[in-house]
Amino acid sequence: MNVIRLFGACTLACAIGAAPAAAQTRKPAPKPPKPQVSAATREKAAETNANPDALVLADFQKRIEAYMAIHKDAAKDSPPLKETKNPGEIKSAQEALGARIRALRANAKAGDIMTPEIRNKFRRLMYPTVNPTAQDKLAPPSPVKDVPVQGTPVQGTSGKAVKADVKEELKENAEEQKEEGGKPVVLKVNAMYPPDSPLPSTPPQVLVKLPKLPEQLEYRIVGKNLIIRDVEANIIVDFVPNAIQ
Amino acid sequence: MRRSFSFVLMLLVLAVPALLAAQDLTLPMKKDSIKFAVIGDTGTGDKHQLAVAKQLAATRAKFPFDFVVMVGDNIYGGNTAKDYDRKFAAPYKPLLDSGIKFYAALGNHDDPSERFYKPFNMNGERYYSFKPADGVRFFALDSTYVDDKQTKWIDDQLKASGSDWKICFFHHPPYSSGETHGSDETLRTQLEPIFVKYGVNVVLTGHEHFYERIKPQKGIAYFITGSSAKLREGNIRATTELTAKGFDTGYTFMLVEISGDDFYYQALTDDGKTVDSGNVHRVGKVEPTPNRSAQPVVATSGKDAAKPAPAKPDVKPDPKADPKTNGK
Repeated sequence: MNVIRLFGACTLACAIGAAPAAAQTRKPAPKPPKPQVSAATREKAAETNANPDALVLADFQKRIEAYMAIHKDAAKDSPPLKETKNPGEIKSAQEALGARIRALRANAKAGDIMTPEIRNKFRRLMYPTVNPTAQDKLAPPSPVKDVPVQGTPVQGTSGKAVKADVKEELKENAEEQKEEGGKPVVLKVNAMYPPDSPLPSTPPQVLVKLPKLPEQLEYRIVGKNLIIRDVEANIIVDFVPNAIQ
Repeated sequence: MRRSFSFVLMLLVLAVPALLAAQDLTLPMKKDSIKFAVIGDTGTGDKHQLAVAKQLAATRAKFPFDFVVMVGDNIYGGNTAKDYDRKFAAPYKPLLDSGIKFYAALGNHDDPSERFYKPFNMNGERYYSFKPADGVRFFALDSTYVDDKQTKWIDDQLKASGSDWKICFFHHPPYSSGETHGSDETLRTQLEPIFVKYGVNVVLTGHEHFYERIKPQKGIAYFITGSSAKLREGNIRATTELTAKGFDTGYTFMLVEISGDDFYYQALTDDGKTVDSGNVHRVGKVEPTPNRSAQPVVATSGKDAAKPAPAKPDVKPDPKADPKTNGK
């Protein structure tokens, strides 16, 4: 009996002792990015009585439209992407369109579309989905994640579960990159996305938070960065470095 | 050269009966029925994909399916012309050579440009439909990015479809007991009301690397077949109360036969063992009802594939299934 008591006391002491140590080693949660809006946007917002964030997103859409005008122009002079049994032809069509776009926007540079304030807005849009908030940490774990059979759906999965899913998908991307190898993705505007590199997936929970893109473009998360990829030309249109914070 | 050809031929002669011997097909194989297979999360090009592909081809000798539905992640990793060959054309060559059509949906690991690859039969579209026979229509969706345009498309398509059987297939599962991903509730919110409104009968998905038959939800039968090349062992959670049948200890594919009001299914492993079988029975024709909360259309039975199912849902475990089957 005494032995059991002694064992219990030791276990308790160890647990109490270990807790502060664990807290010390635990990485502090990253702080949410602070809004960063340029003076010009702030001024315009004040003049028009508009929300500065809305102006930033409208500016993003305008820049995407400008890119799409170039894309459409380039597509006129390139072999069209059409159904084929030969995947090599799909790749050739992508390469031809990519080369044409590259020529038409030869002077394009990082930040032309994703300006500093747009990058900041994107980081802020993504932050709550990829980082547990203080509220999530306080929330007790949901006893049942899903709906009861034939029952009324429970409104939404817990924020924690969504984040865990996003984290898992990002982990899977990293593993796939490791398994498949391929050339590393160079974050460079107009660069071709290496065809032998895996295309990392972007969790749907993240996608729904981001502004919509025309169907010729898509978002992909590469490491901690978010890229806008032209699907038909297989080129990097622009990117947000350290989008996941 | 001639000797090596004879050797390969001899191996084939020996291997095919061995593969067939393991199979115990429960499907009724009725005359004029629609027969197809379902595979998901396939595009690795590794030995597991090859094993499932080999079993699938061998199965066709007994169950002559006409086409294969692919529920996404068709090409993992690199996307070069060689990848298309190694991760699709080569593994399924015997089927492709026999004229079997594959209909693909895009997964989160796929390049949307795959829609231009003719053997995927996507007509260059991210989402599309096809009608293999009168009374049955399939709707392929791109579940990675469901925007308003796509929801309008599926709404219009289902509204216009006069087919008795409406089968949707896409990558992310609206219901899942997966530890890794779980149910995609965003997608469920977007699509389920449309499915219920127009009486979708069956939804085929992947993404989770296991097999799961979900208990019918609002009259719709949901299947997950995401382990045709990748596997997450022990990933089905027992606590969700969603699982009618789960199998997360081996690689699987599905066979389906539609005859009249019955959708017979059988899930098999790469070594031909049955892990689930049964029947989804259509009770009656559905007219679009905007305010429908639940449609009493589908009942499933996992008990006996050869007999029509009772009208109410039956979720008892299949006694014929492999003992390793996860009935969680």
